[in-house]
Amino acid sequence: MSIAESSSVPGSGALGVSAEGVSRRFGTVHAVEHIDFHAPAGKVTALIGPNGAGKTTLLLMLASLLRPDSGTIRINGLDPVHDSAAARLRIGWMPDTLGVWESLTAREILVQMARFYRLPKDGIAHRVAGLLELVRLDTLADQPARVLSRGQQQRLSLARSLIHDPSVLLLDEPASGLDPGSRVELRNLLRRLAGEGKAVVVSSHVLSELDEIADGAVFVSQGRTVKQQTLEEAALQGRRYAITALDNEALTAKLSELGLEYRVEAGRRPSVTLLLTHDDGAAALLGELVRSGIGVVSFAPAAGALEETYMNLDTEKR
Amino acid sequence: MSDVTGTVPVSAGPPAGPQGATGGGNAVVGYLGGIRDVVVLEMKQRLRSRGWYIMLGIWFFVIAVVTWLTWLAWNASMEARRSTMPPSALSPQDGAGSMIFEVVLAFVLLFALLVAPALSANAINGDRAGGTLAILQITLLTPGQILWGKFCAGWLAALAFLATSAPFLVFGMFQGGLTPGHVVVSLLMLAVELAVVCGIGVGISALAGRPLFSIVVTYLAVAALVVGSLISFGLGSQLAQGTVLANSPVGRGVLYAPVQPNQQGQPLEPAQPAYTCEGPLVEHQAIRTDRMAWMLALNPYVVVADAIPYPDRNGTGFYSVGMIEGISQGARSALAGPERTYLCANGVPQPQYLKQTTPLWPLGLGLQLVLTALLMWLGWRSLRTPASRLASGTRIA
Repeated sequence: MSIAESSSVPGSGALGVSAEGVSRRFGTVHAVEHIDFHAPAGKVTALIGPNGAGKTTLLLMLASLLRPDSGTIRINGLDPVHDSAAARLRIGWMPDTLGVWESLTAREILVQMARFYRLPKDGIAHRVAGLLELVRLDTLADQPARVLSRGQQQRLSLARSLIHDPSVLLLDEPASGLDPGSRVELRNLLRRLAGEGKAVVVSSHVLSELDEIADGAVFVSQGRTVKQQTLEEAALQGRRYAITALDNEALTAKLSELGLEYRVEAGRRPSVTLLLTHDDGAAALLGELVRSGIGVVSFAPAAGALEETYMNLDTEKR
Repeated sequence: MSDVTGTVPVSAGPPAGPQGATGGGNAVVGYLGGIRDVVVLEMKQRLRSRGWYIMLGIWFFVIAVVTWLTWLAWNASMEARRSTMPPSALSPQDGAGSMIFEVVLAFVLLFALLVAPALSANAINGDRAGGTLAILQITLLTPGQILWGKFCAGWLAALAFLATSAPFLVFGMFQGGLTPGHVVVSLLMLAVELAVVCGIGVGISALAGRPLFSIVVTYLAVAALVVGSLISFGLGSQLAQGTVLANSPVGRGVLYAPVQPNQQGQPLEPAQPAYTCEGPLVEHQAIRTDRMAWMLALNPYVVVADAIPYPDRNGTGFYSVGMIEGISQGARSALAGPERTYLCANGVPQPQYLKQTTPLWPLGLGLQLVLTALLMWLGWRSLRTPASRLASGTRIA
């Protein structure tokens, strides 16, 4: 089975990561219960869920480290349970723990990893140098990893997951600990990797980040897939806008007059939020408010599209 | 980073296939290569930690002090003896070397048993706690390669300690009374014992969740081998009561008690019994130590002491049985049982000194290796991925 599938031509639906009905429990704790997940090649897929939702457990199963109790996983059509060596050549995994050999230098760590993947020896030095440059660690390459900051170690970890040029990237909270500049770089890099045809899976709970990176999102909660949507779908479902005005009372009066449902938010500055289904409506409303002489100070989406979905899921749950 | 994206290829062109993973390359060479890579990774870490060198320095210093004190003690006792005895009573075998060698050997083994667990018993779960074990498991390394690599690295680190103590054993050799064979065999056996303890430590560290726990358990396992084997032998022997047919010894001169291990340096009578056996064979109560000797064999001291080739003591006149040789003799007489050690068992005078015909150490070493192999196998099972079961209280990453 594995031979037939692994030799199948790219471009079929087998590429990318898919999980069907995957469950896993630890003792009595059901960490993952019947999750369906699909991350196509060439796209960035976000894995979103609250703490303890089973994101890391799912990623560990996708990364061939944990065996699912039930369900099937395919990495480019390969089953990591039965064909783990072949699957591992295609998986790049970045754990949420840093896991750095502290007394080794960044360069040595990458060289060791290349050897563990049995890459051709003569190409290792060049590849390692390229990756170090890619994650901007080339100036720190010969420092022991323990002197690297958390963000630098995070970037090293990313380089480590790329060492064998995997076609599937599983990144567990890759942006945590990164400064804003590195986040932008990470975003660009992940977009580029997806553009090269890799399936990129990013778990995070920094949702505003994912809005910019992800093509689609899978929401999990309490070990289950709650929703799977593309970013276009997320944008279509409408989002919440926050409006602040010089005179808040005039604003609320106008909104009531227009028959809109709104919510007064408790914040540092008094603001009003309301749900608008599409961008045209938002533009129309802003025009209307300005024309009626209300001093609008700000008018902007209160949250990203994915955050909107996330918060809605949260309320549905309750 | 975005400005270098054009120049640095993220993809290395066509996917780089693993060397030797699928056909072509020699599978054994590939397997050993993986082990070597893990060892290199481990040794780089160990060699860069200052604590390791400090331990090595302390070790060297302590053994140097012990050697020096033993040498002083020897000289002092020889002074005392020379003033009371004629020179002819001193045997050439009583060189200072044998005493220094024995004390240093016992000391090195003691320290080795203390140090080896510390070097090995957090190999796997320490990495697990640091999040670096999963990094290894996600690569093409197999559980066996990881386990053997960790074991070899721990063992090599322990062997470094042995290497620093080797000069003192050699010093003992040059002080007389010993052959290079003594030193080589004892170093070899010490190395094997270190491997056993390292294997136990690595196996337990793969099984236990927390490094502290596995280190303590490994120390307890070592204590069970060293002390527990003696206790269980002692208690077990009480349950192994039996009988032996024997008649009565009639002394030609003085009747000698069986060899006592602690009569170090005291000249004894020739090894041949100085009595004859006469009278009818009667059943005597005796402890069948031969049934319990395997417990004694588990003791690392017994294994090391028993493996060292001693000169044939029969008919050499006066000789001294040192501590280490005494351990070997004691263990062998336990193995021989009352049939060989009871006075006049089966009506035959039994020699006090057992010849090297029935060594106990292969049995002991075999049992130790079985225990080690069992723990390593269990550890290997727990390293397999995708993992179905995790040690309680652990995360895989």
